Amino acid sequence: MTGIRALETESVQAQKLARRVSLTQWTSWVLCLIALTSLAALVLVLIHESWPVWRVAGIDYLAGKQWLSSRHLFGAAPMIYGTMAVAIIALGCAAPIGIGAAICTSELLPRRARLTVKILVELLAGVPSVVYGLLGVLVLRGWVYDLLEPLDPLSGDTLLTGGLLVGVMILPTILTLSDDALRGVPASLRAAARGLGLNARETICRVVLPQAIPGIIAAILLALGRALGEMIAVFLVVGRQDNQWPERLWSVTPLISPGQTLASKLGGSEIHIAHGDPLHWAAMVGLGLLLLGMAGGAAAAAFLLQQKQLRHAQAS
Amino acid sequence: MRKLLDLTFRAAAVLCALLACLIFGWIVSAIVWRGFSVVNWRFLTEPMRLAGAEGGIFHNLIGTLILLSTALIVTTPLSVGTALVTAFYIQSERWRRLCLLCLYVLNGVPSLLFGLFGFIVFVSFFGWGKSWLTGGILLGFMILPTVSVALVERLRSLPPLRMEAAAGLGLSRSRIVWFVLLPQCLGGWVSGSFLGLARAAGETAPILFTATIFAGASIPSGIKENPVLTLPYHIFILAQDSFDQAIGGKVWGTALVLLMLAFCMSLVVLPVRLRIHEEADHV
Repeated sequence: MTGIRALETESVQAQKLARRVSLTQWTSWVLCLIALTSLAALVLVLIHESWPVWRVAGIDYLAGKQWLSSRHLFGAAPMIYGTMAVAIIALGCAAPIGIGAAICTSELLPRRARLTVKILVELLAGVPSVVYGLLGVLVLRGWVYDLLEPLDPLSGDTLLTGGLLVGVMILPTILTLSDDALRGVPASLRAAARGLGLNARETICRVVLPQAIPGIIAAILLALGRALGEMIAVFLVVGRQDNQWPERLWSVTPLISPGQTLASKLGGSEIHIAHGDPLHWAAMVGLGLLLLGMAGGAAAAAFLLQQKQLRHAQAS
Repeated sequence: MRKLLDLTFRAAAVLCALLACLIFGWIVSAIVWRGFSVVNWRFLTEPMRLAGAEGGIFHNLIGTLILLSTALIVTTPLSVGTALVTAFYIQSERWRRLCLLCLYVLNGVPSLLFGLFGFIVFVSFFGWGKSWLTGGILLGFMILPTVSVALVERLRSLPPLRMEAAAGLGLSRSRIVWFVLLPQCLGGWVSGSFLGLARAAGETAPILFTATIFAGASIPSGIKENPVLTLPYHIFILAQDSFDQAIGGKVWGTALVLLMLAFCMSLVVLPVRLRIHEEADHV
């Protein structure tokens, strides 16, 4: 591409060709605009449809702890809490294992063993979320119930179950992207560190990881985005109990009781009931807008971090 | 002490990798073990009876394939256009980065929100009701970033020499696009598409309100009010009341079929994916 651009600046003939907008170029631009405006359309439609609830409830929509559609009370705080709880539990499980496994595949394993692990992980990434949901309902739910038996839980449907399930789902994302980040660190640095007499752990912890950390954070952010928006699997195991705002924000009890996330609320049948009532409908779509803000923000931050590291790598 | 620490560290890392592989092995074996006895030719070719307790999943399989092929048809021109603009036509680095940012954010949009968007725009506003076309379009837009980014990467990795040679022969820019760029990025298109389709095959959230129902649909005969049965939605509904033993077996069988469908599509692109990741460290 740089080649053709250089050519154009040199040759008058090519400059003439470049100035004429051909049918191919025109079509490409139109198709590209359709593709990218879909994102804008998504945002605008969600803002437009949820406008009434922002006008009526205002900040109470975010901070309110009660969601009673019959009394037109719409507070999304318990669902934001549930979403964050599931995502944090998921990251807490998946991030250490994923990064540890990435260190293993990129730094320790010989080529053949690494390929085997990577093939398995690529396939693991392809397991549909509904299959995770099925395993969650029929297997994981029982395990969590047995685990919590001494605490006398109501059922195995808890925020913890959802978090564990999502943790398994985002493991491949973290592993693959962390592995890429670690392997992006130049081999010469490793050789130099080993040459100075550092052992494998010291080389990895003091030399390789600090270099790869932006990429690893990007991996975690991308996984976070997926964890926030995951609906099907969470829907099946989270209990879908409304208005579960914890008395103390950092206590563990609400995590082992049923809860509701933004996505599981949106996936339920309430969306059909809400369609008749403008304010209720706006409140439901507003949850989607919140979700879009959180997940889209995570994706954008991850992209910017990756770009920064890419430029950093090119500069050095 | 130093040696001990080193050893512990290595052991912990290997253990993590082992755990990841074990989880994978457990998931696949759990599905295969429970679903294997159900899946046979009749299961794949018979329509569903008695709300999933009897019969097979013929229409569900067909429905999923209809959605996937529609998604592929929708996403191919859009992603090729997007990739050409992003990698080739845009001259300024800043605008190219903005385009890529949009693609990455679109990739990060939870699939559920595509469903919500489709419900608002296609189902209510256009009045299509539940339609296979809505589902196909939504899935197409959902996998668009995956396909576009794969194409962009392929296009940008092409050696400039090819285009210089083409330009030197006096080919116009359009001809370079049609006869040099597009044939060269066929591999990127295949890998991106199959990767996207493997993801789309198992997606339930976008089609939940827009394209699929549990029972009572066969091959669609029009656009409006023509939903299809799909594999993921079938599992999703049955998973919610899977206490019945007969249904239990069928739902595992359906999960096995869906898993194999997704794996086949992942396996097609595995060599390409691995090569990209393996090349990453020689940069």
